[in-house]
Amino acid sequence: MEYVSPFDERRRSTEPLAPRPVDLIGARVALLDITKRRGDEFLDRIEELLHARGAETFRVVKEIFSKPASPEIVRRIADRGDLAVEGLAD
Amino acid sequence: MTTLTRAPEFSLPSTTGDAVRLAGLHERGPALLLFVSEECPTCSLTLRRLAPVVPELTAAGVRVASVFEDPLEVAARVARRTAFAGVVLSEPSPYETSRAYGLESLPTSVLIDRDGREAGRVVGWDAAGLRTLLSVPVTDEPPLRKPGCAAKNTYDPDELRLLDGAGYDELEEMFERGWTDGLPVIPPTVQRVEAMLGGRDPSRLLGEMAPAMARVTLERVAACAVLAGCRPEYFPVVVAAVEAVLEPAFNVGGQAVTTQPCGQVLVVNGPVRDAIGLNGSVGALGPGWRANMTIGRALRLVVSLTGGGYPGRLDRSTLGNPGKVAMCFAEDEEVSPWEPLHASRGFSESSSVVTVIGADAPLSISDHRSTGPEELARVLGEAAAATWSPNWWPLGGVSLFVICPEHARSFSEWGWSKERVREEMFSTVVRSAGSLRWGEATPLVNAAPDDQHVRKWDSPDDIVIVVAGGEAGRYSAVFGPCLGMNTEPISKEVQWNT
Repeated sequence: MEYVSPFDERRRSTEPLAPRPVDLIGARVALLDITKRRGDEFLDRIEELLHARGAETFRVVKEIFSKPASPEIVRRIADRGDLAVEGLAD
Repeated sequence: MTTLTRAPEFSLPSTTGDAVRLAGLHERGPALLLFVSEECPTCSLTLRRLAPVVPELTAAGVRVASVFEDPLEVAARVARRTAFAGVVLSEPSPYETSRAYGLESLPTSVLIDRDGREAGRVVGWDAAGLRTLLSVPVTDEPPLRKPGCAAKNTYDPDELRLLDGAGYDELEEMFERGWTDGLPVIPPTVQRVEAMLGGRDPSRLLGEMAPAMARVTLERVAACAVLAGCRPEYFPVVVAAVEAVLEPAFNVGGQAVTTQPCGQVLVVNGPVRDAIGLNGSVGALGPGWRANMTIGRALRLVVSLTGGGYPGRLDRSTLGNPGKVAMCFAEDEEVSPWEPLHASRGFSESSSVVTVIGADAPLSISDHRSTGPEELARVLGEAAAATWSPNWWPLGGVSLFVICPEHARSFSEWGWSKERVREEMFSTVVRSAGSLRWGEATPLVNAAPDDQHVRKWDSPDDIVIVVAGGEAGRYSAVFGPCLGMNTEPISKEVQWNT
């Protein structure tokens, strides 16, 4: 019997991981705050640790955690940053 | 020197939808053909035991294909059950290929070399024989040998007729594919989906749905509507509901994956209700009415199957809620003393409209004693005070109230409009900030002086009222909100001709 699938059966290729940095000295790290509760506290601590390792940081804030980041946010991270850290969940 | 015989060529349907030829299997290296059938336990054992070595054989350049003396859907089912990851081919009656290979019993494993010649065969389950034939470490778990069953090409026609389709259950097949919400579904055959589409363009794209970022085509929506049990005349309502949830302002992707219990509530207004038998009267919130149950379910299947928000996978709802199975009802406009929901939202009363609201499970509100409109409005409003969390004020989201006909009639007899009821709820459901500052309080409450009054809603507009339910009984209900999603109710006109 032939059935019609409810799924989008397109196969998507796996995105390769970007190369990992050898060290963080001088790296520009985007800290993405998705506005989940206490995510900013997590990023504050990460920021301290990154600074201690010689990285520069800058903050980017999503409008709301439950929606995908806008292309504008992604572009800002890609234009300015070498790396990104995202604070997920509570 | 042994002379190898040329293996008979074949072209057989595969579970990927393409026909597969023997020449295609051995064009780059050897091929292993596993002739099997569903009814034979030794065949299942062989597939299960060879499944772990299929990747190794594949890596070594050997194409592994099972050839079932069964219909394709049966072959696919057995392959799934046995975790067999090779090519799956079907050779149903009259079994010309298995006869050409001279098969007397199954399983029979035949190794074909790169030139298309038979390099060896093993009949039945024979661990040592297969190890020698394949040069891979086949399991030495007992039994080491087990005879198989007669190949179907050796059966006489009367026996075959008795066996035809035996052991296959189409409804179980749907569960095995995962095309379900846990309840039985109607298999979406090509014919049923075509009937659901009713001549509409199956490739019409309604949008992309998160989290799978799946292309939601009319055909996939129709497949979900069939699975859910919809009749074709319900389809325009399902399509309007899907169009509504795909509006970015609804944020269906967020709702689909959140740990919250929220589901999607559908309220239907206008003439389409009567045309398709959508209930807004006794037992409106279900169960009991096919249109209500299956339209709500169809939308949920689009969200969970097509959209990828399947419970326990990407849908991380901590508890879920029965409204995530199906929640669709009509407003009883004929009984309501007030303007119907769609008219309040700017549509003409003669149009048919679906309004979708992200919401928690309904909470019933009993009131048989209130003697005036202020009292009854306060009872209804206070029932919502504890929704989301007792101390989360204001909600910052929408509460959907379903007012039963007896309550609605009382308000009407007291001369109260729907707007007056909403205003009363809004203004009387109030607390001092100090009394709310425990447990999960809002930033507004935490920052406010103790004696500042805080309301449950930001505005009367966050109180949505519809009328539905049986003629007897003073039980209304409120659906708690879906928060943190920036979601808002969305209404879409049903493209349906009266």
